[in-house]
Amino acid sequence: MRKSFKKAYLLLSPSLFWLTLFLVVPVIFIAVISFTTNGDFGAIIYKFSTKAYASAFSSLYAKVIWQSIWWALVATIVCLIVAYPFAYFIAHAGKWKNLLLLLVMVPFWTNLLVRLYSWIILMNNKGVINNVLMDLGIIKEPLALLYSPGGVIIGLVYGFLPFMILPIYSSIEQLDKTFLEASEDLGARPIKTFLNVTLPLTFPGILAGFIITFVPAISVFVVTDLFTGGKLLMVGNVIRDAFLVEMNWQLGAALSLLLMVLVLLSLMLFMRFTNRKDRKLLT
Amino acid sequence: MLGVQMVKLEHVTKEFDDTIVVDDLNLDIKAGEFLTLLGPSGCGKTTTLRMIAGFEKPTSGKILLNGNQVDDMEPYKREVNTVFQSYSLFPHMNVYDNVAFGLKMKKVGKEEIKERVTKALKLVQLEEYGTRKPKQLSGGQQQRIAIARAIVNNPKVLLLDEPLGALDLKLRKQMQLELKHLQQTLNITFIYVTHDQEEALTMSDRIVVMNKGKIEQIGTPREIYEKPRTRFVADFIGQTNILDGNVSAVNGDMATLELADQTIEIPNSSEVALKEHAFLSVRPEKMKVSNTPIEGPINLKCTFKEKIYVGSVTKIVVRLSDGKELTINESHENIAELTNNNDVYVSWNPENAVMLIK
Repeated sequence: MRKSFKKAYLLLSPSLFWLTLFLVVPVIFIAVISFTTNGDFGAIIYKFSTKAYASAFSSLYAKVIWQSIWWALVATIVCLIVAYPFAYFIAHAGKWKNLLLLLVMVPFWTNLLVRLYSWIILMNNKGVINNVLMDLGIIKEPLALLYSPGGVIIGLVYGFLPFMILPIYSSIEQLDKTFLEASEDLGARPIKTFLNVTLPLTFPGILAGFIITFVPAISVFVVTDLFTGGKLLMVGNVIRDAFLVEMNWQLGAALSLLLMVLVLLSLMLFMRFTNRKDRKLLT
Repeated sequence: MLGVQMVKLEHVTKEFDDTIVVDDLNLDIKAGEFLTLLGPSGCGKTTTLRMIAGFEKPTSGKILLNGNQVDDMEPYKREVNTVFQSYSLFPHMNVYDNVAFGLKMKKVGKEEIKERVTKALKLVQLEEYGTRKPKQLSGGQQQRIAIARAIVNNPKVLLLDEPLGALDLKLRKQMQLELKHLQQTLNITFIYVTHDQEEALTMSDRIVVMNKGKIEQIGTPREIYEKPRTRFVADFIGQTNILDGNVSAVNGDMATLELADQTIEIPNSSEVALKEHAFLSVRPEKMKVSNTPIEGPINLKCTFKEKIYVGSVTKIVVRLSDGKELTINESHENIAELTNNNDVYVSWNPENAVMLIK
């Protein structure tokens, strides 16, 4: 027993080494830096200070963090609503399945930055969407699609939708079809079968999709950069600016840690509401 | 109830991508009957069951359930329930909720659901297990829950798709009898699919033997075993010796069959015609072996090959001059002293030989 345990650790050691070197050590660096003192021109003076946290908790940054969580959450929920029917459709598309999956993956082959630029062309005040709507007489004034929280959420949804589709697709695909037959056999109409059997049994996919969409969505900064020209901020923007513009590494480090703790806490909270089996299926 | 027609299949055909899986099937199933669809895998038995359940639509033909045509009706509207091969218990619900599922879908009142679920669980002797999840139960227990989940709905017909396939032999034998008794207690029509001929013989009122999408024979277990109509049925149900040769003479009640360099007397029947090839089935337990020729119409000279002790009987294998082997089951005490490659004589009562259709 103990011997096989040792062997397992031996096999794990390359990845443990990797994780230690590139995850644990950097996090420790960041934690240490966040408690140092900010010198002139971004110099790090190794003198204990909690000033960075004081400003991180100030109303200005708290608002940005809250805003980030809120937008990421809304975007994740929209992703879920869009992705589930789509994933369901792919899973039942028969011979078209692979082509449709390919279409979901194609965007990954192009940089997010480039893809977001194409949305600017669509959503601009003089962009395709506004022009078409105005020509059709549906609106008189161009809609402020960019420079608005709505635009940011569209960008987030667009950017992270495949992350939601793929795990949900995989859970629907793997669902044993005889459960659906059993449900139908017992008198459940298709909608009842969906609500009582399909949805709960594909919940692990929803959970996985939720997490891998929400976590990157909360910290992304290109969407706000491109769509609002920095007018609206997400916590990612603030962290980047702290490091690169203000040369305030202490603040950047403190905000990074704070974000990490918040994400972990919200995931733990989220996990509390899901039962153990779903979690096991997830990992 | 018995005798009233419950399920009727009229010229039912099912094709999948131009492959005919079920071919012009006609079948009447009476209320309260335990009917088994028996056949090798790919014979169309499961497809037939799935058409009755509604999971497959027949390519042509009609299915009537209790007098109503149902072949276009959705499965959730049919008054039949299925026990699946894999049980298909919902893994996210406990035993109670699994059994209650059908009643909840039909919007039965909470009190009545509780009463009926409790009764159904009691019937399968698992009333204490309501709060368990299916995963926490053994295969045999899951199987019982699957049965309870189906019968709690009082279906007109219960469809069972190889429900005992995943159980070990001993439990399977026990469950066969329990299912049979359950069926008699509830007086529900059971349509049971299996490829296990012994299971079919043990449980059924009538057996439908299927092969390549067609019915080979319908009959009681005894008819199927003792009077197989075709070579397929004789061979598939139990063990048998099939002797074939040309008919050299027909003489009233009897005919003469040429086997290798010998002749035997066979009962004359509609399957027998002069100069035609005929097939004869004799069960191993109906044959006798001795060292000396036996008085009577049948006295087949063979070479003794080997004897195998199989517990309940001893199997004796002999060879005809054309190389064909016959197997005879003898009880241990009746076995003559036999030596390898010696001549032996095989005989049987002509009544126990069955003429087969090719």
